[in-house]
Amino acid sequence: MIQKKVCMVGAFATGKTSLVARFVQSIYSETYQTTVGVKIDKKQMQIGGQELTLVLWDLHGEDDFQKLRLSYLRGSSGYFLVADGTRRATLDKAYILQSKIEQEIGAMPFVLLLNKTDLQQEWELEESVITEAIDKGWTVIKSSAKTGLGVEEAFLTLSRQMLEV
Amino acid sequence: MTEADFPESAKHSSDRPLPDSALLSELLQMLNVESAKSPSTPADAAWVAPVSAESGDQHGTNGSESAAAIDRETAFIPQTAQAILAESMLAPQDSVGELQKLLLGFDQAQLNQLRERLENPERRAVDVGQVLRQAILLQSMQPEQRVLFVAAMTPTVEQAIQESVQKNETVIADAISPIVGPATRKAITTALESMIQRLDQMLEQSLSPRALQWKLESLRTGKSFAEVVLLRTLVFRVEQVFLIHRTTGLLLQHVVTPTIAVQDPALVSAMLRAIEDFVQDSFTVQTGDQLETLRFGDLTVWIEQGSQAVLAGVLRGQAPLELRLVFRQAIEQIHREFGLALTQFQGDSTPFAAALPYLEACFKTEYKTLKRKSRPYFWLLFTCVAIGCGWLGYHNWQVRRQWTDYVQRLSAEPGIIVNKAENRWGKFFVSGLRDPLAVDPAALLPMTAVNSETVVSQWQPYLSLHPQFVQTRAQQILQPPATVSLTVDENGVLRASGLANQRWLEDSRRLAPVIPGVTQFQAEVTIAELQALGVSRSRIEAQRLWFKEGSTQLLNNPQALNGTAQEMQQLIQLTVALRRQVQIQIIGRANQRGSAAQNLILSQNRANAVLQMLVAQGVPPDRLTAIGMGTRQPLSDPQIPVEQLNRSVTFKVLFTTGSRARTDIP
Repeated sequence: MIQKKVCMVGAFATGKTSLVARFVQSIYSETYQTTVGVKIDKKQMQIGGQELTLVLWDLHGEDDFQKLRLSYLRGSSGYFLVADGTRRATLDKAYILQSKIEQEIGAMPFVLLLNKTDLQQEWELEESVITEAIDKGWTVIKSSAKTGLGVEEAFLTLSRQMLEV
Repeated sequence: MTEADFPESAKHSSDRPLPDSALLSELLQMLNVESAKSPSTPADAAWVAPVSAESGDQHGTNGSESAAAIDRETAFIPQTAQAILAESMLAPQDSVGELQKLLLGFDQAQLNQLRERLENPERRAVDVGQVLRQAILLQSMQPEQRVLFVAAMTPTVEQAIQESVQKNETVIADAISPIVGPATRKAITTALESMIQRLDQMLEQSLSPRALQWKLESLRTGKSFAEVVLLRTLVFRVEQVFLIHRTTGLLLQHVVTPTIAVQDPALVSAMLRAIEDFVQDSFTVQTGDQLETLRFGDLTVWIEQGSQAVLAGVLRGQAPLELRLVFRQAIEQIHREFGLALTQFQGDSTPFAAALPYLEACFKTEYKTLKRKSRPYFWLLFTCVAIGCGWLGYHNWQVRRQWTDYVQRLSAEPGIIVNKAENRWGKFFVSGLRDPLAVDPAALLPMTAVNSETVVSQWQPYLSLHPQFVQTRAQQILQPPATVSLTVDENGVLRASGLANQRWLEDSRRLAPVIPGVTQFQAEVTIAELQALGVSRSRIEAQRLWFKEGSTQLLNNPQALNGTAQEMQQLIQLTVALRRQVQIQIIGRANQRGSAAQNLILSQNRANAVLQMLVAQGVPPDRLTAIGMGTRQPLSDPQIPVEQLNRSVTFKVLFTTGSRARTDIP
């Protein structure tokens, strides 16, 4: 059995926790994020006939009051970069976080999740933005915590990247 | 099959039995094996090509196919076959044999030898036996092959054992008996020790003041009693040990006490790692300092840091510091052994399964009360039980002894015959015959320790002929006066002695024979009426009546005569009761003065005068006789002058039964 450490990073209130809540096993409550700054969940998958356990470190969203603890990202095999499609600023924050991670921790597989696609009316991101990210070689997936859209796909995509299959 | 099976005349290609292709393949394989064991000989090599060539013929193919087959086969080993062919061409051989050798490349004798090796079961068995041992050894040396080999062998071995047991069970029994005995003894000893230990613990946990305290705590906290006992007797217990990859926080290995409910260890190990990062980030710590201990009440998490991995132990209670050393040694050993695997760790924890013994070495528990030697409560209980049993035994023995005594006493009592006496389920049963006059059996019970409530008696009444009871019954029936005593001897003779009246005596004579046990009645009784009769006669006969000289005039006080008259009347009544008759003679006398004739008349007159007076007093005249004696048979009394003495009247009382006078009255 293979285990991988995966982090979820993004700005505050981008829906990181909600995104995975329905798809993971957890024993810790959300209060851990505000106290310790991280909440650990687990996701078990089958990739190419291989059993894979993702240990998800759901990091506290970065805001004006609390910075992301980059030390939590050490030892990760990949991460989800989460942005809220209804708030443009969160995507900018995602860019900043990605570059910070690459600088301090090093390059590793990641997937950019543009969350809250169910709120189409409030959607602020143009297609060009997405194209731009794809052009950079990034994997971009639109997701919704409410409908579950794109979540399994995101897990599968990142897992494949980490296992290089 | 031997060489003799192939006579020279039959050595024609169409008649000759030829080896088939399967046989040839086998021969090939065998030879390959043989060649691996020993260097190949030219003959071995030479055999290969022709055999293969013959296989074509055997399958009935045409000549061109056979030739092609020969070409194909010879192509595999051209050098060896050709060399042999060349060599055989040079040798001066028998023509047929030479031709054969030219065509086939080897001797028929060799072929026959090989055929024989294959077709003779005994030779084949020897060959297989030679390689079998080596084959088994080779199989067991390769782990994967070993599993398959064991799986293949198991049913056969199981069946063999089963059949052996069915056939003759003593063979297997004899084989395993040397180990069964010690193993059984050990198992029994262990089970007994464990049972005593559990019993002692149970007693201590139920009886001691501390146990009561724990029970209160259990009630107060809502925890089960067992849980409280476990926690309070626990010195320390290692509940879980995690081996965590340092950089990723991923779980490499984990052990847990079976009874403990735990959370997902993968999540817990990641969180432990996160907490360490959190502490390092949140507080100012010196470089190189690491999180070593987390404490929460009596729960402690020990973290032993290594360069690549972390060993985290979850403990309850106060663990000794020596245990920390065990943790340290374990993580060091893991680094030594799994250094490379830790460095190259990519999420696959499989290699770390082998680290399990190191984690288990950290797995220790110590309880306060698990002292094997001291079992005070067990011995206390044992002593109490022993004393109790001893006392009960003694009491029981004493009660039984007293019961036996009681039954013996009953049997010895006159008028009681014990037929059956027994003791069942704590109750005593006694039954038999009892004379109503015998002692009450219940009255004897208080003299013993036997509880009267546990005794069930059944007595049938009967009459005992014991002299004591015969006498009592005689007393009750005859009702003797106080002046009479009754005795009964062993022969049943009833004796009455003393003073009794005539009537009682007569009644007794009539009743005594019907009293059970009385064989004879003997009365030595003085009859009261007869005695009174004698007394009365004496008084009457002592009476003297005096007269004047020459006269019938009485000198005595008339009262004296009245007394005599009454006495006489009583006497007469007594004689009636005794069914006798009495005659009272009134004897008149006269002294010597005057003539004898006058004196006779005077004496007669005096007697008649007294008779008259007595009749006047009520004495029946037919009982009285007046006799004049004159001067005959004069009285003599030195104190009274003879003249006066015979001038008198006296009485003589005579008794008779019927007409005959009796003198047996005292």
